[in-house]
Parts: sequence; structure tokens; C-alpha cells
Amino acid sequence: MQVFLQTLVGGLSFGAVYALVAMGFSIVYRTMGLVNFAHGQVVMVGAYAASTFYMSSRLPFVLAIIVAMVVTGLIALVMERVLRPLENKDFDLMLIGTIGFGVVLESLATIIWGATGRAVPTPVGSQPLDVFGVRIRTYSLVVLGIAAVATVLLLIFLQRTKRGAAMQAVAMDHEAATAVGIHVGRSNAIAFAIGAGLAALAGGLVGPLLYVSPTMGGALGIKGFAAAILGGFGNITGAIVGGLAIGILDSFAAGWFQGYSDLVVFLVFTVIVMVKPTGLFGERTVSRA
Amino acid sequence: MIRFRRGRVVASALAVLAVGVGSACSAPGSSSNTNASTTGPIKMAVVDAQSGQLSSLGAWEYKGAKLAVDQWNAKGGVNGRKIQLDVFDDTGDPTIGTNLARKIASEGYVAMIGTAESAVTVAMAPVLQQAKIPSITSGQSPSITAVKSPFQFLNGPTSTTYDETLAKYLVDQKDLKSIAFISNNGSYGKGEHDAFGKALADRGIKPVDDQVVTTDQKDFSAALTSIRQKNPQVLFVGTEEVEAGLIVKQARELGLNATVAGAAPMGTTVYLQTSGAANAEGTVVSSPYLSNDTSDASRSFAQAYKTAYNEDAELHGAKSFDGTNIFLTAMKNSNAATGQQLADAIRATKYPGLLGTFTFDQTGVGIHATSIGVITGGKLIATATS
Repeated sequence: MQVFLQTLVGGLSFGAVYALVAMGFSIVYRTMGLVNFAHGQVVMVGAYAASTFYMSSRLPFVLAIIVAMVVTGLIALVMERVLRPLENKDFDLMLIGTIGFGVVLESLATIIWGATGRAVPTPVGSQPLDVFGVRIRTYSLVVLGIAAVATVLLLIFLQRTKRGAAMQAVAMDHEAATAVGIHVGRSNAIAFAIGAGLAALAGGLVGPLLYVSPTMGGALGIKGFAAAILGGFGNITGAIVGGLAIGILDSFAAGWFQGYSDLVVFLVFTVIVMVKPTGLFGERTVSRA
Repeated sequence: MIRFRRGRVVASALAVLAVGVGSACSAPGSSSNTNASTTGPIKMAVVDAQSGQLSSLGAWEYKGAKLAVDQWNAKGGVNGRKIQLDVFDDTGDPTIGTNLARKIASEGYVAMIGTAESAVTVAMAPVLQQAKIPSITSGQSPSITAVKSPFQFLNGPTSTTYDETLAKYLVDQKDLKSIAFISNNGSYGKGEHDAFGKALADRGIKPVDDQVVTTDQKDFSAALTSIRQKNPQVLFVGTEEVEAGLIVKQARELGLNATVAGAAPMGTTVYLQTSGAANAEGTVVSSPYLSNDTSDASRSFAQAYKTAYNEDAELHGAKSFDGTNIFLTAMKNSNAATGQQLADAIRATKYPGLLGTFTFDQTGVGIHATSIGVITGGKLIATATS
């Protein structure tokens, strides 16, 4: 029982990070119908930026992450601006464009920060909590807490604000949205920036759990993408559930299947997607793509 | 409006992500296409991960090799010929390594330093053997000697030696017999797992727990909780630097206080930084190069390294420095021979290096002993063994 609970707790904190990555994928997809293949690399840049502000500029951890989110948000605005001429003209070229951006970001990170990577110290150094023999890292609680707050803020933005409603309208029918005076380009730019901000948040949070290196985006990107698909691509609630599910699945597969855990995780993922191709919370209304 | 079916987008997205993970940028290095010649510079290749999780190893290896080459070139090169050292990025991927082996064979390189990854070394060995290009690896998995290539050399001991020394210290000297394993399923991890397992079996000891993780796993809660319940005296970690650091960090957070033990990766700064100095305290390390302060040679190497790169030298830089010097010494002694002659000259070279005196046996192993160090106060300190 203790192993079960400990495994669950271990999976949850990584699951929260995957959920943030998945939400970034989803918000761009639901608005533009585009899979942003550079998303994993934006997570990596976010992780580097946050760790730099935290370790070198000695900013408080949370503030460092917020500054990193601004940095990646700006990068995303540049990306969207470059891709905008292709919007609704050549979708495949846009996809290739995002892949290109991913390669550029990885190379830039190597040039700026070097190929070796860095270890980020945990910002909350206190002893783990002991709950009936299950050890809960204080930092895991920080990750879960921040991820939860970010999720709630995002949902409020999308469902309760005018700008969020406009983005939903663009997602459903961008021609009709244009007809009623919504600026589609701006809406897309905001989606890209929010997606990148979420990526930086995920990267910043995962830094102290992992080791920050230029290639960390690959593994996080594919897990986050799988989480988004599992939850129902384009669905924010689905991204959260998908992220937590992948995190927990990962953790249990590691315990039960040891060296074969990756294989098992993706086999289970494949079976679920075969049975339910739209994912757990798949929406058919997001059909711009 | 352009509409795409969800299935198509998802399928293409998965395909692209898979390609993204599996491939990597093209390798840097010389693009000239000349074959081995007897005039002009002698071309040597460094093949190592220059990007990815294992890139710290690659960076150290290149720095060590470059330092040796620069010193030789400053003295006029080998029999009047300069040495040209080019670096190639295998990203730690055996497939890319195999392609690079073909590339360096076709571009006239006469010797190769690398790689630090056992799996890549094993993948490259047959191609290099066919092209008769000697290579000296920092990999230590027994699977490298199992390839039986006469062109494959090791600039350190195999895991068998590392782990026999470790078992001698832990079991014979310290009488610690309750030992749990955590190793990864990569070539290095499997080599460590099997070698330490055998060293224990020879002493009639069975590990109390034996957990295998994947090479890119991030959360070790399940494995470590299982180990914690067995309450072992020693946690043997058989993974590379970063993963070892993450494992030990999480082990301490989960309240696992066993003595951590392992081979060379645990003596590196990357391990120390990733785990955090407090978590790494007391780690028992088996390594052929414990410090920059064991001999005049290591002090002078460390000084030159510091001057060249403004950072402290460590095991992998020392290994490739030794390996490169052995190559160049063998080339000098054989009058810049290549192919089989060069391999024979390397095998005949007795070289007093930083890791000890190199005497190559038939399996290509040059060093046959390691020492024990313990991380004390954030530093690896040599310990007395009997």
C-alpha cells in the first residue's frame, strides 16, 4: 500500500508538469488548428530562462518563472508573426515552420547556455512531509499548487473574459469571427503567447525536478503531446486529466515493468486512443484543423 | 478555410515528434574528403555526444583530447606532421554513431577518440574494424570487449574491474552485506548491474532488491520506495551522471539513508550538482582517477587544463588525454603507421598515464585497477583500501 501511494504521489508532480505542457499544445491547437512542434523546445527555453534568473540574477523562484514566461511569450509572438502569412493558406508549411523554430531554439540554447546542461537547486529545501509513511516532497506540493492556480486562471480567462470568448469564437469559425470584428491574427498571437507562457511555467517548475539541458524539450514535448491527445486534443480539461494520467501511468509502469516502462506507457496510450480516437474529452467542435 | 481531419493531424504530428526524438542535427566536423595519406596533417576524430543528456561527457572528452593534441602540435607534431583533431556529435545515439563511423572512414581519419558511451562504441566497432581504424573508448561496459575487435581499445578498466574493487571495499573491508541495486537498462547500466552482481555472487551475496529503470526515466518513486522497505545498508547505483544524481536526490527525499555506491559517474561534478552536495555526501566511488592531486603528472595535467579551459580537470578529460597521448606515442614509434600496424603499435605501447600505467591486453583493456574514493564535504577524497 505504501509503495502504491508513494508511486501515486511521485507520478502526480510530473503529471502536473505534463498537464501544463499539454495545455500549451491544446490552446494553440484549439485556436489555430495547429500543432506547435516547437512547444517542447519552448519548455526547454523556459526552463533555462527561469533557472538563469533564479540562479544568476538571484530572483525569487516564482518571480524568475514569471520573467521566463514573459521571455517565452515574446518568442511566441515572433513565431506567430512569422507564421501569420501562412495562416489559412498552407497548413503543412506552418507545421514545418514550427519544427524549424524548434531546431532554431535548441541550437540557440546550446549557443547561449552550452550543451552540458545544469542542475537547478530546489527552492524549498525543507524536509519531505511524512504522511503515514508516504514521503511527500515539499517541492511537489509547490508544483501541484502552482499548476492548479495556472489552470484555474486559464479557464477563467477562456470562459469568463471577452478576449477568451473571442478566442473560442475564432476556434469555432474564424470567418464568422472576422465578420463580427474579431481580429483573428491577434487572437492567434495571444493563443501562441499563452501556450508559450504555460511552457515556460512547466519548464521552470520541472527544472529542480530534472536537469536542464538543450535537449530536455524532446522528452517533455512528446509526453505532453501524448497527454493532450489522451485528454482530447484542444480540450483544456482533457489536457489536465491527460497530463496527470500520463504522469501516474509512467510512475506505475516504472514500478511494475521496470526497464520496459516506456514501452508499456505507449502501448496503453495506443490502446486508449484506438478505442477512443478523440481522447477522453474529445470535442468535435474544434474542427478548424 | 482549410480543414484537416483530426486523425491526419494527429498521425502526422506523432510521426514528426517520433522523427524529432530519433534524429538529431548533423554532426559538426571536417567536410573534406581525403583518404589517409603519408603527407599533410594526421587526421584524428573525436566522436562523442556534444549535445543531449550525455553531452557533459563529450565536452570533457574533447577537451582532454584537444589538450593532448595541442601539446604535441606545439612540439612539432608527430615526426614533423601536425595533428588535425575534428569533433563529431553522436548525440549518444548508436545509429548516429554508426553513420559517423562510415563518415570518418571515408574521410581519411586514421584514429578515433571516443565514444564515452558503451552502446555507441559497440555499435561503431564493426565498421571501424572493417575500415581498420583504431579507436580508444571511455566506455567501460564488458560488452565492448565482447565485440572482440582488434581495433578497439579502452582507456580505462571495464565495469568488472570497477565493481570488483567496489565489492572488495564494501563487503570485504567494511562488512556491508545488505545491498540493493538500482541500474538503468542501457548498455552502461546493464554492464554495471551484471559486473557488480557477479562480484557479489562470488562472495555469496544476493542483492536485497534489484530495480531496473529506463535511461530517460525521471521519477524513481516506485523503485526507491520498494528499496526503502528492504532497508539496505548500501544502495548501488548503476547509471550515468545525471540519472544517478536524480536517483540519489529522490532517494534522500524519500528517506532512504543507505550508503550510496557506484563507479566513475558518481565522482563527477555533474553527479554532485544534480543530487546536491548534502545528498551526495558519503557516496563511495570506484574510479581509476580520483583527484588532480595524486601525482606530478596529474597536477601538471590539471594545471594545463585549467589554463586552457578555466575549469577543473576530471576523470573523462584525463581518460581522453591519456588515450590521445597513447595514439600519438604509438604513431611516433611506428613512424606514423596506420591501420593494422597502428593497432599493433598501440597494443605494444606501455604508457605511464594519469590513470596508471597502460598495458594493453588482448581484449584491448589498458588499465586493470581502480581505487576507492568517498565524497566528503562535497569533494571526492581517496580512501585507504586494504
